[in-house]
Amino acid sequence: MVYEALDFYDLDSQLTDEEIMVRDMVRGWVDAEVLPKIEKACSEGVFPDEWRVALGEMGVLGAPLEGYGCPGLSYVAYGVICRELERGDSGLRSFASVQGSLAMYPIWDFGSEEQKQKYLPGMASGDLIGCFGLTEPDYGSNPGDMITKAEDKGDHFLLNGAKMWITNGTISDLAVVWAKLDGVIRGFIVETGDEGYSAPEMTGKYSLKASVTSELVFQDCKIPKDRILPGVKGLKGPFSCLNNARFGISWGALGAAQACFSSAKEYSLSRIQFDHPIASYQLVQNKLAWMLREITKGQLLAFELGRKKDNGSWIPEHISLAKMNNVDIALEIAREARDIHGANGILDEYCIMRHMANLESVKTYEGTHDIHNLILGRHITGIQSFTRSL
Amino acid sequence: MEITIIAETQGDNLHPVTSQLVGAATSLGASPTVLCAGGAGADAAAGIAGVGKVLSVVGDCFSTFDGGAWAAAFDAAAGTGIIIGAASAQGRDVVARIAARRSIPVVQDVVAISQGLTMTHPIYSGKAMQEVTVGGDCAVTLRSNTFPPAGDGGSAESATVQQSGDVKIAVQEAIAKASARLDVSDADIIISGGRGMGSPDNFEHLYALSDKLGAAVGASRAAVDTWDEIPHSMQVGQTGKTVNPSLYIAVGISGAIQHLAGMRTSKYIVAINKDPEAPIFKVADYGIVSTWEEALPILGDEIAKIL
Amino acid sequence: MVEIAVLLKQVPDTNAKIVVVNGRVDESAIASWVTSPYDEYAFEAALQHTEAAGGSITAITLGPARADKVLKDAAALGVTKLVRIWQDDWQDLDSNQVQSALANAVTAAGADLVYCGKQSADRNQGSTGPGIAEILGAACITEVSESDSAGSYLRPTASGSERVTVSSPAVVTFTKTQNELRRPNVRGIMMAKRAQIEVVGGDVSASQVNFNGHSSPAQKPPGKTYEGSDSVPEVVGLLRDEAKVL
Ligand SMILES: Cc1cc2nc3c(=O)[nH]c(=O)nc-3n(C[C@H](O)[C@H](O)[C@H](O)COP(=O)(O)OP(=O)(O)OC[C@H]3O[C@@H](n4cnc5c(N)ncnc54)[C@H](O)[C@@H]3O)c2cc1C
Ligand SMILES: Cc1cc2nc3c(=O)[nH]c(=O)nc-3n(C[C@H](O)[C@H](O)[C@H](O)COP(=O)(O)OP(=O)(O)OC[C@H]3O[C@@H](n4cnc5c(N)ncnc54)[C@H](O)[C@@H]3O)c2cc1C
Repeated sequence: MVYEALDFYDLDSQLTDEEIMVRDMVRGWVDAEVLPKIEKACSEGVFPDEWRVALGEMGVLGAPLEGYGCPGLSYVAYGVICRELERGDSGLRSFASVQGSLAMYPIWDFGSEEQKQKYLPGMASGDLIGCFGLTEPDYGSNPGDMITKAEDKGDHFLLNGAKMWITNGTISDLAVVWAKLDGVIRGFIVETGDEGYSAPEMTGKYSLKASVTSELVFQDCKIPKDRILPGVKGLKGPFSCLNNARFGISWGALGAAQACFSSAKEYSLSRIQFDHPIASYQLVQNKLAWMLREITKGQLLAFELGRKKDNGSWIPEHISLAKMNNVDIALEIAREARDIHGANGILDEYCIMRHMANLESVKTYEGTHDIHNLILGRHITGIQSFTRSL
Repeated sequence: MEITIIAETQGDNLHPVTSQLVGAATSLGASPTVLCAGGAGADAAAGIAGVGKVLSVVGDCFSTFDGGAWAAAFDAAAGTGIIIGAASAQGRDVVARIAARRSIPVVQDVVAISQGLTMTHPIYSGKAMQEVTVGGDCAVTLRSNTFPPAGDGGSAESATVQQSGDVKIAVQEAIAKASARLDVSDADIIISGGRGMGSPDNFEHLYALSDKLGAAVGASRAAVDTWDEIPHSMQVGQTGKTVNPSLYIAVGISGAIQHLAGMRTSKYIVAINKDPEAPIFKVADYGIVSTWEEALPILGDEIAKIL
Repeated sequence: MVEIAVLLKQVPDTNAKIVVVNGRVDESAIASWVTSPYDEYAFEAALQHTEAAGGSITAITLGPARADKVLKDAAALGVTKLVRIWQDDWQDLDSNQVQSALANAVTAAGADLVYCGKQSADRNQGSTGPGIAEILGAACITEVSESDSAGSYLRPTASGSERVTVSSPAVVTFTKTQNELRRPNVRGIMMAKRAQIEVVGGDVSASQVNFNGHSSPAQKPPGKTYEGSDSVPEVVGLLRDEAKVL
């Protein structure tokens, strides 16, 4: 089946030649190397190491960062990369998001010169994998109350606590960990092999099965003093990372939605019931038209947000809106596509059920759908409603 | 109108398409001169009705194929006017070079030709047709099996001319047709077998036919799943390969939606199935309700007749 | 050391729907333009050849500004010499005009070898390689499916295939090869961004061919089902005469 990328308003014609080349490169790789292997990766619950190598070779890790071996592409290009990766699988896009926006970005923006030189080139080439530890078993939407803490022991820091739901954790060479030092949230780089650090894998997921999710455990974990990120204090650190990752998700979710739409369109045209293709029935056309409408609106959001990221006119709430909307419609589109595929829609041989299950995670991570509603609510009213204490 | 035909040869014999070239030339009112490379097929060419003259072009260069050398020899032997060849690999090469030597235009793979000289040829792999007119001399290749062949019973005079050209291509090694089978993604004709073939051994019938046609053999998933001998690389469909050949022949395949997903854009679809209700007949251009045991031998014979 | 000119033509994506409007293929309806597939195999062969033997590649295209894309794609894989021939009526050039424009560019590039596809995916003619060879006084090997840096090429014959060698200058036209086409990476793409494309005029004489128009191919007759194996000869006849696929 040939993938037909829905682009109703021909928005990709606004891409530069280079952005189109990047798109075609990633799309071609996903067709050739990801789609034929994704179901096996999911059923085995692994992220194939060759994908890490290929992402590094293509040079798309940390795409919008500049210097230290990073390519310095536009944010629009970064969005396009996420879209094309997630057309393959959200787990694949998660790998790239975490590596680029959550692990490389804080080092690039808040790290010391030595830290940048030590880690970034290897991370851009895919030789070093990073993860991002913010969420804890007891603090998800509310990371400000995190328990993990760091103590200054003179010649080293001592970390204690645990992180949970950490993408790439077990396969990482380094973790960017957010912990409280004297009550203030700070970023620390923990390397695999550091004393008192372990990253056991979490199993039993029905979603993002081709992505590694882990716990990070710190038991009197000793790290050298030069592993603290000097450039940021407080929640601003993790939130800056999340802004970039969420931006990528707002594009990525469209990739998953477009994959489901493409499959649903093709299927409905060839599936014959009551003597005619089901695509000829109004109820099915209504579903397809709705998908087209929502995808096109989502694309407009993503493109305009990309331009804002590139020209600096964005605010975090713009990102919240796009992440929330595009994941939401992608999930609904996956569900409608599943319906159009009938029983075939539940099989692992169509991409639908996999995207649908993946998108459930995407809806929750990087700020749940409703947390973004609350962010927008605060923006509109000026009143925060995250907690009762006003 | 002066027309020179470059005979299409097969070893020492005349290829049957040559009669079709003559047929097209006579339909334009010409009595063409036929050039035979190294004299191959000259006698047969003289027997085609409507041929004005046969020239055996004899020279050292004709022992191997070198389009440049052949074109030089033919160019020297041919008169002015229109040059017609077959749209085969060699024909296209030689005719294009004669045109370039003479600075006249070349139009390849023509499927319709009329006085004027107005010609139609497919473009975009047959998704559209282009019509052009050339007022002066030109060189043309014609698609095979498109023009009615001239009959036989001719008795044109024959002559021999010595002409050669510089051979620049050296053959190092001839390699017999590899037994390695064509992949379905590369083939212009595909013959696929399904569960209705009964056993993997019966795929031999499909291989035999594919050898005649230069086709690839594909399979339905039921065949791939049931028989270890049929590898997944042969599977056509949703979870196999998507193919787009000119001709797809489905044998003992019911036509499930997932199979159709991989082949419904084929230009022409032939189905052989014993069940007249099989859904494959809904997409077939030519459906044959029959067992393959009965239909395939006849199909093989008929194809052998026309190729 | 070898200097190879690779001819790359930009064509509609081979999956694109071709629509004829007012007697011409409507190019504005084509969303995606790509390098003609056989040209890509020629290009890959040239990359391998120069990697093994040393030397360099000049990528040449003939077409409007949008065709710069095929040159940039080549630049992303390391080609630095990029030439686009621009001719006002480029769509209606006849075979001689195309060949002489390309041959001029090949000569200017100082190439010993010309690699191109056996035919373009739009015009499907297959005249360009042999025609250029004639103009350059070079040999031409057509429909090559395998090549090496020692200058030997595999071409089809009626009974199989043969490995041939040729002295330069030579033109080689490629069909699909077993080579995997390489993908660029971002570094290459950023290099392509800075790549300079030399735009040259075609400088050709007048066309000798009148373009009358495009049309859609004859509609397929609706599908028909025949009873019994006795119908096989009739179907084979229709495949030959009506469908013209045999
Ligand atoms: C596959 C996967 C990978 C992940 N990867 C990472 C990673 O790499 N790094 C990392 O740090 N984290 C990661 N996470 C964690 C993710 O960011 C959290 O799951 C997310 O922030 C939500 O936290 P929670 O699961 O604890 O849910 P909770 O915060 O407990 O939320 C549960 C529900 O309550 C709602 N809710 C919470 N607070 C409010 C409120 N004030 N008002 C109204 N409703 C509210 C939420 O919207 C949600 O519906 C990952 C999660 C998943 C599933
Ligand atoms: C998610 C999914 C993906 C799939 N992907 C593919 C795919 O990629 N490719 C694919 O092919 N299938 C695929 N399938 C399977 C598909 O649904 C069918 O099961 C399969 O195509 C049936 O193969 P068949 O036509 O060979 O077998 P059958 O459906 O069993 O049909 C056999 C046919 O042979 C005929 N027959 C029997 N004996 C003779 C005889 N002597 N002479 C002539 N005709 C005879 C019968 O009348 C019958 O029509 C997929 C299924 C699913 C659910």
